[in-house]
Amino acid sequence: MKGAKKITVMGLLTAIALTIFMAEAQIPPPVPIPGVKLGLANIVTVYAAFALGPGEACLILLARVLLGSLFSGQLMTLMYSLTGGLFCLAAMLPLRRVVTERQIWVCSAVGAVFHNLGQLAAGILIARTPALAAFLPVLVLSGLLTGLFTGLTAQFLLLFLKEK
Amino acid sequence: MRRTRFWVLLLGGTALLAVLGTFWLSRSAGGGTVANVYQDGVLVWSIDLSEVREAEELTIEGPAGGNTVQAEPGRIRVSGAGCPDQICVGQGWLSGGVTPIVCLPNRLVIRLEEGENELDLDGVSG
Repeated sequence: MKGAKKITVMGLLTAIALTIFMAEAQIPPPVPIPGVKLGLANIVTVYAAFALGPGEACLILLARVLLGSLFSGQLMTLMYSLTGGLFCLAAMLPLRRVVTERQIWVCSAVGAVFHNLGQLAAGILIARTPALAAFLPVLVLSGLLTGLFTGLTAQFLLLFLKEK
Repeated sequence: MRRTRFWVLLLGGTALLAVLGTFWLSRSAGGGTVANVYQDGVLVWSIDLSEVREAEELTIEGPAGGNTVQAEPGRIRVSGAGCPDQICVGQGWLSGGVTPIVCLPNRLVIRLEEGENELDLDGVSG
């Protein structure tokens, strides 16, 4: 895939990710723990990382994070989202070469854990409160579970589209 | 290419550690009875919950609409917040333990500690 087709697909994926992101933002947080959310928009990031490539996934993620915080009017959360997203990619992109197409959920779960670790680090620095580290185990656990879910979704999607 | 069993064991082991950590943290007694409210890491309100007789309330301005903090005998909570997610309100009453109440949009943290504790990492306080 290259040229105009690639740009179109990337634009489409960014739009899908933004739509999912905005829809999820309307749902009240499932548990009252800062940083715990489903992160459904990450299905698109995982899909892009495997179907397109690392550079494309990175661009789509950056566009989604920037536009998402702009559209939701929560510029305060931009730093958290950005740090989390970059940590997630930094973990997923090397792993991407190690896993098979039926182990994509592994890559996604590890990525989600690193996303949460990045957000926690950003929170500790921005709110200047080491006490936030008390949320570390909960955030690792929630990252594993939500990453597993988004990863399996992306994996089914990739395998399904491949058969077409 | 690793076998799937390897990944299941690795991620499962991490999950087990996280569950144990969560359990351990929820069981640890933590500090004392003094509730310290920090904003941007600076102590803005300190109240000894064991000496509170009647409910007290304090509104703290913040970048995301601020918070209303309510103290009662032995416990403290965020009773109102200007942010959309309301996670800090949802965290409910804090009466013990080491897990703080946090409002990230307003950069507000409430901890129970032994005493008044200026936790200013910039070293501005003197």
